[in-house]
Amino acid sequence: MLLNVIDILSQYWELFLIGQYPHGPLGGLVNTLILASLALIIAFPLSVLLAVARTSPYGIFRHPVTVWVYVMRGIPLIMIIFWTYFLVPSLIGRNISGFTTMLCTLVLYQSAYLCEIVRGGLQSLPAGQTEASRALGLGYFRTMVFILLPQALYNSIPSLISQFISIIKETSLGYIINAQEMTFAANQVNNQLLVKPFEVYFILAVTYYLLCFGLTQLAQWFERRIDTKRQGDALIAT
Amino acid sequence: MSQFTQGLEKVLQGDYLDIILRGIKMTLELAALSWLLAMVIALSLVVIRLTNHKVAVAAVAGYVSYHRNIPTLVQLMLWYFGISSLFPYELQMWLVDQNAEFIFAAIALGLCQAAYFSEDIRSGMRAISSGQTEAARALGFGYLRSMRYIILPQGIRNALPSLINHTILLFKNTSLAMAIGVVELTYATREVENYTFLTFQSYLVCTLVYLFFSLLLMFCGAIFAKKLNKVYAR
Amino acid sequence: MIIFSKVNKWYGEYQALVDVNAEVKKGEVVVVCGPSGSGKSTLIRTVNRLEDIQGGQILYNGHDVYGVDSNLNTLRSRVGFVFQNFNLFPHMSVLDNITLAPTKLKGLNASYVKTKALELLDMVGMSHKANAYPNQLSGGQQQRVAIARALAMEPPAMLFDEPTSALDPEMVGEVLSVMKSLAKEGMTMMCVTHEMNFAREVADKVWFMDAGRILEVAEPETFFQNPTHPRAQSFISDIRA
Repeated sequence: MLLNVIDILSQYWELFLIGQYPHGPLGGLVNTLILASLALIIAFPLSVLLAVARTSPYGIFRHPVTVWVYVMRGIPLIMIIFWTYFLVPSLIGRNISGFTTMLCTLVLYQSAYLCEIVRGGLQSLPAGQTEASRALGLGYFRTMVFILLPQALYNSIPSLISQFISIIKETSLGYIINAQEMTFAANQVNNQLLVKPFEVYFILAVTYYLLCFGLTQLAQWFERRIDTKRQGDALIAT
Repeated sequence: MSQFTQGLEKVLQGDYLDIILRGIKMTLELAALSWLLAMVIALSLVVIRLTNHKVAVAAVAGYVSYHRNIPTLVQLMLWYFGISSLFPYELQMWLVDQNAEFIFAAIALGLCQAAYFSEDIRSGMRAISSGQTEAARALGFGYLRSMRYIILPQGIRNALPSLINHTILLFKNTSLAMAIGVVELTYATREVENYTFLTFQSYLVCTLVYLFFSLLLMFCGAIFAKKLNKVYAR
Repeated sequence: MIIFSKVNKWYGEYQALVDVNAEVKKGEVVVVCGPSGSGKSTLIRTVNRLEDIQGGQILYNGHDVYGVDSNLNTLRSRVGFVFQNFNLFPHMSVLDNITLAPTKLKGLNASYVKTKALELLDMVGMSHKANAYPNQLSGGQQQRVAIARALAMEPPAMLFDEPTSALDPEMVGEVLSVMKSLAKEGMTMMCVTHEMNFAREVADKVWFMDAGRILEVAEPETFFQNPTHPRAQSFISDIRA
């Protein structure tokens, strides 16, 4: 079995890694990473805005975002993919690729989840921070920008990395709408070989595992760093 | 607007309604079965891990790490296309007769979600003071009994919010089973859409059904948490 | 400087402040004392509207704090406020904590603000920690920085809400001595505190509160020797015991 795996890898590693590129579209692992990174980069700033609105004292901002978050958390990612696949072309008047569909979907979906992370970060700050800032005369907006968000975002770095891992895993759904990424590539390999499905999906699983496991370690390293920073500070303080 | 409602009526009539209803039934069955499987495995994992035996702890950590770092869809495919191909031919044939898609989907989803549940419960139990175990042991409860009566109930209470969240995730993840051909709600919706070309209406119905059950779960979770907190506060 | 007239405040059914009438005059140091839950902190927090009132009027430096035309942020920037838990901003250095409000709110030149901040730090004896972060400081040091932060806006009056209650005993002195030197310079001060020696030495007036009312206003000498109200008498005998 192990020999089979090595065999398949030596023959198809390019397809797993970069898809049919340069003879066809870029795909495989590289596209999985590009897709996930782009989704995070676009969804994150959006989610900060949503989190600010979600914690806003004004219902006109708070209520729509709350509904949005509940809806996104309440329906499966696949349904959102289908909605995007159906709605975005009819809105912009032309077809979009599987990659773009997947990117739009992940941005929509993750903006809601990231929003909840940032909101959690904001709400776990001691109330004294807001009070002190307001007592100095800084208004709501300045308190948010200078005092609350910097602290909340720093504290949520580990959660952001684990969310990036979630996004990587979610990109595998691109396969369903033929977006060029790693799971799609694996299915292409499987369709060519036909007789070694276990080996092919095993390679796919191990690759995801190594990627996500590595990132998990990174997240834990950050978490320890943030913790030790606090503890070290506390030691000096006493 | 009337065109829209006419379409909606069409989707919600006769054969199409039948397909959707059967899809809902399948989704609920899949969710319930994999939830049960996940909970049983998760509890076993937690208890095994608490023995603090080196090999046992490493095995559980490996199990959790594996299932959390691989996309659920890939786990489904690995089971359905991959692992099943390693089974003896007779077993494969038998499974096909028994609705193999459903069985493998339930196994894959259950095993995967067990990893999340067990981590939820474990971190819930870490919040319990060590005095609780000592008190239980001092009263004469053995290891398993102090687990059963003292530690696990408190751990699950602490873990309740994340357990609910992951139950919702499990419910939503049943939709992934369409990729291996389980005719659950999402698959059924695609079928209706294929027959009727009423994309908007059929998606809308499906989305609302998912939303209804997810919100129901969130709502029950909130009520439950409130109730427990009251007992706790007293 | 600060005038409370007929101030009433409720938390739901519970009345936290009952018909409070009192005045802090310019240059005066007022110590507010009383048993816990008597409404001292609530009262001081109404001056810059960290708590809202439901009835009455508060005038601060001639401005109606609850008037329709008063700009809340401008008002607050003119009230120096020191918290029990310091509430320094942990992600900013000591210096940045102090320069934040003057640069962002007054739009003052950064280097001028910095020079002034260093002077203030010197005054509270913290200039050697200008670049440290709040979590690297002891409680007493943090509170002295918090005082400098409040002073940086050059407020006409300073409010202290139990500034030493969260401190270890050995650090109380350093904070009180900063407050004393402020008082000597003629700063108008309103302090909620349990430090009766501070009240005795520095205060011009002591307000005694219980159950949301000011029951006695007296000079410290009179208050500690011959309190008139029975509650004040039992309060004094309690702290002596």
